Amino acid sequence: MIKKGFIVLTLCALLLALAGCGKSTSSSATGAAGEKSVIDAGAGENATELSYWTFVELHGKFFEDMLAKWNEKNPDRQIKLNVTVMPYDDMHNKLSIALQTGTGAPDIADIEIGKFPDFLKGTPQLESLNDVIEPYKDTIVPSQLDLYSKDGQVYGATTHVGASVAFYNTEILDEAGVDYKTIETWDDFKKAGMQVYEKTGKYMGTADTSANWQTSMMLAQQKSDYTDASGKPQINSPEMLKGLTVLKDLQDNNVIATIAGGQPDTEEAYGEFNSGNYATAFMPLWEMSRYTNYMPDLKGKIAIGPIPVIEKGMPRSYGGGGTGTVVTKTAKDVQLAKEFVAYAKLSEEGNIAIWDTLGFDPVNMAVWDMEDVTHNPDNEFVQYFENNPFDVLNEIKDEIQLIKSTEASPTINNVLNTVTLNEIFEDGKDIKQALDDAQAQVEQDLQ
Amino acid sequence: MIKRFLYSQKVAPYVFVLPFVLVFLVFWIYPLGSSVTMSFQKITLGQDAQWVGLDNYTKLLGDKIFLKAVMNSAVYMLCTLLILIPLPMLLAVLINNKFMWGREFFKSSLFFPALTSVVVAGTVFRLMFGEMDSSLINSFLGWFGIEPVKFLKGQVTGFIALLALATWRWLGVNMLYFLSGLKSIPDDFYEAASIDGASAWQKFRMITMPLLKPTTIYVLTISIYAGLAMFIESLMLWNGNNSPKNIGLTIVGYLYRQGIEKSNLGYAAAVGIVLLVLAMTINMIQLAFSGLFKKED
Amino acid sequence: MKKEAALNMKESSTIRVRKELPLKILLLVLFVLLCGLILIPFYAIALASFKPGEELIRYGLNLKFDLSVMSLSNYTYLFTGEHAYFTWFFNSLLLTVVQVALTLIVSATVAYGFSAYEFKGKNFLFICVLLIMMVPFEILLLPLYTLIFNLHLMNTYSAIVLPGIASAATIFFFRQYLSGIPKEIIAAGRVDGASEYGIYLRLILPIMKPSFAAMAILNGMNSWNNFLWPFMVLSDERKYTLPIGLKTLLTPYGNNYDLLIVGSFFSIIPIFILFVAFQKYFIDGMTAGAVKG
Repeated sequence: MIKKGFIVLTLCALLLALAGCGKSTSSSATGAAGEKSVIDAGAGENATELSYWTFVELHGKFFEDMLAKWNEKNPDRQIKLNVTVMPYDDMHNKLSIALQTGTGAPDIADIEIGKFPDFLKGTPQLESLNDVIEPYKDTIVPSQLDLYSKDGQVYGATTHVGASVAFYNTEILDEAGVDYKTIETWDDFKKAGMQVYEKTGKYMGTADTSANWQTSMMLAQQKSDYTDASGKPQINSPEMLKGLTVLKDLQDNNVIATIAGGQPDTEEAYGEFNSGNYATAFMPLWEMSRYTNYMPDLKGKIAIGPIPVIEKGMPRSYGGGGTGTVVTKTAKDVQLAKEFVAYAKLSEEGNIAIWDTLGFDPVNMAVWDMEDVTHNPDNEFVQYFENNPFDVLNEIKDEIQLIKSTEASPTINNVLNTVTLNEIFEDGKDIKQALDDAQAQVEQDLQ
Repeated sequence: MIKRFLYSQKVAPYVFVLPFVLVFLVFWIYPLGSSVTMSFQKITLGQDAQWVGLDNYTKLLGDKIFLKAVMNSAVYMLCTLLILIPLPMLLAVLINNKFMWGREFFKSSLFFPALTSVVVAGTVFRLMFGEMDSSLINSFLGWFGIEPVKFLKGQVTGFIALLALATWRWLGVNMLYFLSGLKSIPDDFYEAASIDGASAWQKFRMITMPLLKPTTIYVLTISIYAGLAMFIESLMLWNGNNSPKNIGLTIVGYLYRQGIEKSNLGYAAAVGIVLLVLAMTINMIQLAFSGLFKKED
Repeated sequence: MKKEAALNMKESSTIRVRKELPLKILLLVLFVLLCGLILIPFYAIALASFKPGEELIRYGLNLKFDLSVMSLSNYTYLFTGEHAYFTWFFNSLLLTVVQVALTLIVSATVAYGFSAYEFKGKNFLFICVLLIMMVPFEILLLPLYTLIFNLHLMNTYSAIVLPGIASAATIFFFRQYLSGIPKEIIAAGRVDGASEYGIYLRLILPIMKPSFAAMAILNGMNSWNNFLWPFMVLSDERKYTLPIGLKTLLTPYGNNYDLLIVGSFFSIIPIFILFVAFQKYFIDGMTAGAVKG
């Protein structure tokens, strides 16, 4: 009995200690995942508290910076921001449910472009941003607004262009005697890759199975898309076949190989890259922030270049990924939320901050030419990479293609990223067959 | 008046069982009914539901991914039955053996994994079965000169990981079930058999197995349900509901995907009804075969 | 002892000792190996809790004991860092305690109704209890979800507690237990002038105490590890339970593995302490359903 009493006492003590801890964790900084943090950013007593959901921790950091500026400028309309970070799938699912049921939705939320069409179905439970975007409209690439629009109403404030580039690990390339600057076409890339594999035993790049950045890149080069002009899926188009055949050939020659996690933007892949097992990643520019945050060992070893093309003269980039920040219909103070979102993401200050804190290529292209911003020696991204990303961006500026976001996009992405790409690169299934199957599956799902 | 109420033996039982009746009606019968209704509708949230008759069901029949999910759940269930019944039974007999040292310790150790949450256990197994050559299972295989395996990307290897997780969590629990069944077998039976000169195997075949039948049926029944309704194990092992080529997709996973991820509530409800019918049928057949109904006549 | 004697009737005691020892050792080796295998994941996660999360992502979970990368920094972060771990921990604890207490009281009451009285519809209702045990809860997820929404219970703990408050398995167990209690107690209570409810509260409940431990543990385990349903109804991070919270750490966009692993490991510790202290009840609780087949 004494023993039992002792255990109960210890447990009680433990509980009390925990209860204490629980209360002491309410202070905040940037909103690490798993933390509900209130960013007050100098807001006074009368500030309106708004809630914000995101799936990227860093976006919270960005909003913190912008909030401080907003609160300073608008002393009578101050805001406190409640940031919640959730995993990608969970956040979108929860948001979708909350919006459909009309309860539990935050005031402001990030929606990834791949999921955005799902939120535009029927009557969108989001606020139109048209009026607050108006002042900034002329500075933004129009196609960036179209991505988050329906029937002439813009529902999401875009974050970046997401120009795709190649990230080369020059340490590995040097070891193999390869100069990335000479790589222009996939043939060049293949030769270089075979040399790398022979000399170092390492792979030149990845064959992505859980994301379709590479597929989009191949389609963009051929000025094609997943859907035709009327929005109908065309997964088994000749351009798809061509693009995947090129990639498959690279894989067959040990130039590229599948990677743990299935694509460069996963935690497993960060580890693989950081360990120097793969030399190249073809990713939208925002992958920069993944390097600085999760691949510290590669500092000073990564150079940015344009993506190789099938034939010289083809466009060398496309805008990949993206996040639309939305204001929900159930928001506490719709107008305030809208104005803040537009200011934070679309104003010139906002665009500069998007580059400074997030390392994204801002949608206000005027910023791309601001030498003092883009080449600021104090910027962590400028310091991390061998060359300046904007030198590359400005070179390919006019070649950046757009992959449309349509109602069929979420389904297409899902089929490609769970089934088709795995079949092609992991199982060696015939590409034409895999694409035909994918087309059939997508058509069935969309019924 | 109050006093009469307090002392009435007629009213009292209904008061006692009232909470159950309420919960049963509100949280079981009503949802079950609305699940059936929903399965005949097309539901777009924020709009009125539309009657579509059997459309959801006919669509399900031609839905390759759904059939894949049913296959996965069925295979998973069968495999868990094949592993998690004979093995724990054998272990229970062994551990119950008089030659066993440290019985209590081993009992507890084998049971302990059942205490961990699937979220934690699934994540640990995901990392253990990682495809890097330095992750646990692959480094173990490496000692035998076997090349690293991409466990979670292949159908068979994925299932190995899934079953390893299930076995790890449930081996000890099922063993305890069988142990408690063994306790109810009187020693006299074994004594009598020994006098007749029965071997250990004969004793196991003729006494232990038949007398463990009620326990076996119990374990079988719960395993069938647990197997068919498995979801979170797969969700955690693949860190999401979208496993490559859907190798880890289960019926409930598909219900979740359609209902929660894609908001096709009607279609998802049909998936749920199919699961219910499937589970009920299998268990009825199973119970009929094991003669449970006969016994009650 | 009887069994032992019987089994070895034919053998002389000297032969027995010689034959027994290898068998004993064989069994022991077998179970030691098995336990070793079963405990590997615990060892791996314990080890990983001392390594930086980055190490884990790069090399996977393994058994490498490498002091140069190991430190207590994850633990320092767990106890002093700015995160919501202990909020979740506390929520889980609170929810478990409340859920177990309510479920036990309600289920025991219902079970008493079933065991102490004869009434119209009793058999039908009891079949309903058995039926509940037979329906996979998962198929009710969506309608239950819309119901909880219509009742305005989204994002509340009531939504988690209420549907399970009259737990079929628990009612079943209590009924079995109560059938062993002599009816004379009830009769005696009536003679003494106690009301029907007084009898239950003052006479029966105290007798039921021992059976509460096993059921408390069974329900407690389920509640502590419950994931899917709470995950669907809770959206406010301040209300998350431990499993949900830990799952939110599984995102590539944040250095969360430091907290994830140490947090996962730490979440096992309270159950471990409880388990060691109340082992017997754990095992009773788990096997309670199986005994009667």
